[in-house]
Amino acid sequence: MTFINRQIWTKTIKQVFFIALIVLVAGFASNMLRSDKIPLVEDWSAKSKFVTSSGENLEISLAEASTLFKEKRSVFIDARSKEEYENGHIKGAISLPYKEADLKFVDAMAGISEDSALITYCDGETCELSMELAVFLRNTGYKNVKVLSNGWSVWKQNGLPVETGE
Amino acid sequence: MKEEIRQKFSMSLYHGARIILGIVFIYSSYDKILHPAAFTKIIYNYQILPDELVNLSAIFLPWLELTIGSLLITGVWLPGSVFISNILLIIFFCALMYNKARGLDISCGCFSTSEGEAPESTLYLSRDFTFVVIAVYLFFKVFITNSAGIKSPSRRIP
Repeated sequence: MTFINRQIWTKTIKQVFFIALIVLVAGFASNMLRSDKIPLVEDWSAKSKFVTSSGENLEISLAEASTLFKEKRSVFIDARSKEEYENGHIKGAISLPYKEADLKFVDAMAGISEDSALITYCDGETCELSMELAVFLRNTGYKNVKVLSNGWSVWKQNGLPVETGE
Repeated sequence: MKEEIRQKFSMSLYHGARIILGIVFIYSSYDKILHPAAFTKIIYNYQILPDELVNLSAIFLPWLELTIGSLLITGVWLPGSVFISNILLIIFFCALMYNKARGLDISCGCFSTSEGEAPESTLYLSRDFTFVVIAVYLFFKVFITNSAGIKSPSRRIP
């Protein structure tokens, strides 16, 4: 029994070594050859999701966002699709789906001055629509735009006011 | 006779488990090999690995899954592939548990790199747990009962 085990473990170590070698070669080669190759090491911290190209961090905490909400000092902008917005959104939020932002921008933002504090949000940790929309809005002239990361989920989970429909 | 049936059943269970686990690994590697950039984001969002290792994992992990999956299905190098699958699945399971415990409900990225996958972490946990159980079973079969038939002098030749 012990002898069998020792045999197996010797084999295992050899095999793990060869598997690692195959994976190293396959990984490197495929990444070298493909057109959408990724760098081996990337600076993720500087590329933090909510930092603009000019280095400004747009992220706002839930605490700050809910304070601004309660004091009615900011406008929430929902970057998700119209359907998702209608299924539920932060109370009083405006729907401006990022994918149709060019078309819907004028109507959606009518009556909101460029000095207003805006908070964009979407849903999910990996959702980038809110950040993209924030950058878009800043380019159109809105100075004060922040992003609430994973906004819809955290808002709902914390029992803050929501509504459904248009 | 009964013993024979029992043994046949045991062997089919063993081969079935190894093939199922192999398919799972190959299936999960497919989308990640196609979309490495999307996979880096998922690894980054897990917020477990240091930044320097995010891209390296995205480059090599899918190929490791593909290799292990192929080896499990073909039955080649079983001790090595079963050993690595155990380590991988236990790491994945711990990563999921860790993020559930700290309330980070992220896109799992288990099988696909699309962001649309609903973050149903409990479902992912139970699914992953099933895979861990299969892997541990295979580990037991290969390393303890020697079902892979690793030759040794103590084995009687009929």
